[in-house]
Amino acid sequence: MADLTYQKFVRRWEEVTDIPPQTLGPLTTLYKTVTRRIKTMPWPWYVGISIVAVLILFGLLGQGIARLVTILQAGF
Amino acid sequence: MDAVSVMVSDGIAFSRTVVGLVTRPYETYRRIVTHGKAGELVFIGVLLSVYFSLASLVKVAAFRPFLLTQHFLLLAMGVVSGTFISTCCIVIAGRMLKMSVSFERIFLAWSYTLIPTVLWFFATSLLFVLLPPPRTTSVAGMAFSLLFLVFSATLLWWKVTLSYLTLRFGLKADFGKGLIVALVSAPVLSAWSYFMYKAGIFKVPFL
Repeated sequence: MADLTYQKFVRRWEEVTDIPPQTLGPLTTLYKTVTRRIKTMPWPWYVGISIVAVLILFGLLGQGIARLVTILQAGF
Repeated sequence: MDAVSVMVSDGIAFSRTVVGLVTRPYETYRRIVTHGKAGELVFIGVLLSVYFSLASLVKVAAFRPFLLTQHFLLLAMGVVSGTFISTCCIVIAGRMLKMSVSFERIFLAWSYTLIPTVLWFFATSLLFVLLPPPRTTSVAGMAFSLLFLVFSATLLWWKVTLSYLTLRFGLKADFGKGLIVALVSAPVLSAWSYFMYKAGIFKVPFL
């Protein structure tokens, strides 16, 4: 039983260490912060960032977003 | 195993993967690249075919079998060529950077990035029927526009994440190399998108 658990652990360890950890110099902390959020259940972050992005777009384009959506809606 | 058992097994794997892409994309992509099976592509194909059928009905807006089939085939060719070109770009760029690349693995991983795309196109086609454009600048029109943009942006972030994970696990690329692969692929995919636009197949690129 202990051997089986150990073998599972080794398999999992090899899987996880298959790709080297990501480093980005001074941006490593920022990268790790962002990726930690999107590894599991990223939807609250996606929606939050989308709302902020759309509000910024609304601030820039104003009523022009109606035209943008008209173009997108006919884009399929 | 007989064909039915294989199909059921692949179907279960596909369903588990789709749920995983929603809840645990990072782990799921690791599994797709290491344990994914080509049979799962059949289910992605079925999902795309459902969309092509709906889009053909909406676009042609008449029960004319020839026109419907023609539109269906054009959409299918557009998506197959886009997926194939995207995979080739990633594989070629990966090989240029001397990374170990498997075409099959990248193709499977990239095919799963089509799920957010097909969801957006599916929703847009339905909304085209339910709330046809043009959008107005009334309160209701603006509210819908804002909601539609939030929905689109949310799916876009999901798509970007899955695309990045394709490069990260498919090529075992670090962020820098992934960025180089994306930059090398961008002009080719832009040219493909322009061609699709000019041909009237996809105004928004189906990538």
